[in-house]
Amino acid sequence: MTAHAIETEALEKTYGLGRKKVRAVDGLSLHVPEGSIYGLLGRNSAGKTTTIRMAVGLARPTAGTIRVFGLDPARDPERVMVLSQVGYVPEDKAQAALTARALLQLNREFYRDTWSDDLARKAIRRLELPLDTTFLKLSLGNKTKSALVSAIAQRSRLLILDEPTTGLDPIALDELLRLLVEDCTLEGRTIFLSSHQLTEIERIADYVGIMDRGRILLEGRLDDIRASFRRMTVMGEALPAGDVRVLTSRRVGHATEMVVQREPEEFAAELGRGGATVVTSTPLSLNEIFIELCRNAEAKDDRIRPADFV
Amino acid sequence: MISLRIFASSGVPVYLQIEQQIKQCVASGLLLAGDALPSTRRLAGDLRVNPNTVARAFQNLERDGIIRTVPGGGTYVAEDSGGGTGLLKAEKMRRLRPLATQLAVEAFQLRLGADEVHKLLDAAVQELGRGVRGKGGSRSDGEGKDQ
Repeated sequence: MTAHAIETEALEKTYGLGRKKVRAVDGLSLHVPEGSIYGLLGRNSAGKTTTIRMAVGLARPTAGTIRVFGLDPARDPERVMVLSQVGYVPEDKAQAALTARALLQLNREFYRDTWSDDLARKAIRRLELPLDTTFLKLSLGNKTKSALVSAIAQRSRLLILDEPTTGLDPIALDELLRLLVEDCTLEGRTIFLSSHQLTEIERIADYVGIMDRGRILLEGRLDDIRASFRRMTVMGEALPAGDVRVLTSRRVGHATEMVVQREPEEFAAELGRGGATVVTSTPLSLNEIFIELCRNAEAKDDRIRPADFV
Repeated sequence: MISLRIFASSGVPVYLQIEQQIKQCVASGLLLAGDALPSTRRLAGDLRVNPNTVARAFQNLERDGIIRTVPGGGTYVAEDSGGGTGLLKAEKMRRLRPLATQLAVEAFQLRLGADEVHKLLDAAVQELGRGVRGKGGSRSDGEGKDQ
């Protein structure tokens, strides 16, 4: 059994009072293996930031559990132990110091046991972070960079990045990916990052969780997910209806186009035995898988509960 | 230094892309027996992909006899890496079958007969044969030499 850096069980977070309750996280079950680069993917307001805030003790779960290295980040003596092992770059890149240099010095004092000056210098050079510009004058991208450098140099056992690519130009982004891969997964360290920038995540993540409206739609090893999804064009009569392996199905001309989400080879073989012809079978990119899953989940919910406002 | 290109959005698992491209480098003589490969972390950094993904590709390549890892001493192209000699013939056939199917389908759609397909395939095999023979003689052509 793999140890988990972060694990949640039936996690719930409700904001607001009375009738205006918003369920930001709704029965979330998440498993982030230690030593992985885990990408938490979701649309706007899917609950990614709320989940992250609960992982670092900034929000308290309404129900369910969240554990970071087996510790409860909402309980007080344990919270300190969690925070000492976690580097965190928040979505809101507002700063606690006047310049990047001051921020780095602050964090260096705070995380004296694990901090690396060499790694800080390397990250500053690679990301081209201006050290002495005041935060008022820094661009969004440079604010992001200073938060990233200080979290990376901290060399935490777990690095949590909430939308770490905000404002970064393509070169800085490329350098960030290299830093994360080369320097932030050493010695079994874990990176947990949230994003809706799927192309970057697709390169560096080995595990992904796809989240939609507070719940997990799909979680697993990215390569396995890629291998289990196929878009198939099928010709023939009497195609199976309601097979659990078929995510979506629609008529296109004389054929049926299906998105298969499990055991595509076996499924194609069964279709063949049943007399149908699989005309094309192509893999899906993470982006396509994401869109198919979210659309399908939303369509299902609409059928169950018609929209209130239309 | 080998140069691999990864297309993360192609839907093909990244470890498979790495495996296939290294196999191709070896088959075409771009990588020779005994050539050193970069470490998994180094290659992961260069490609901007997950180190575990590179490690998975290397494990599969080692299992197939394409590369060998010296504990604590790096990874090298195996001496007898040309034909995946460690594999049973049935396994080799099983791996090639999807490619053969794809070739047959494409040929069918282009209205090409079996003869033409065979000719194409023979030409491709000969082409590859020339490359492999060429690499055996001299290593001074510079191509594929590790920097």
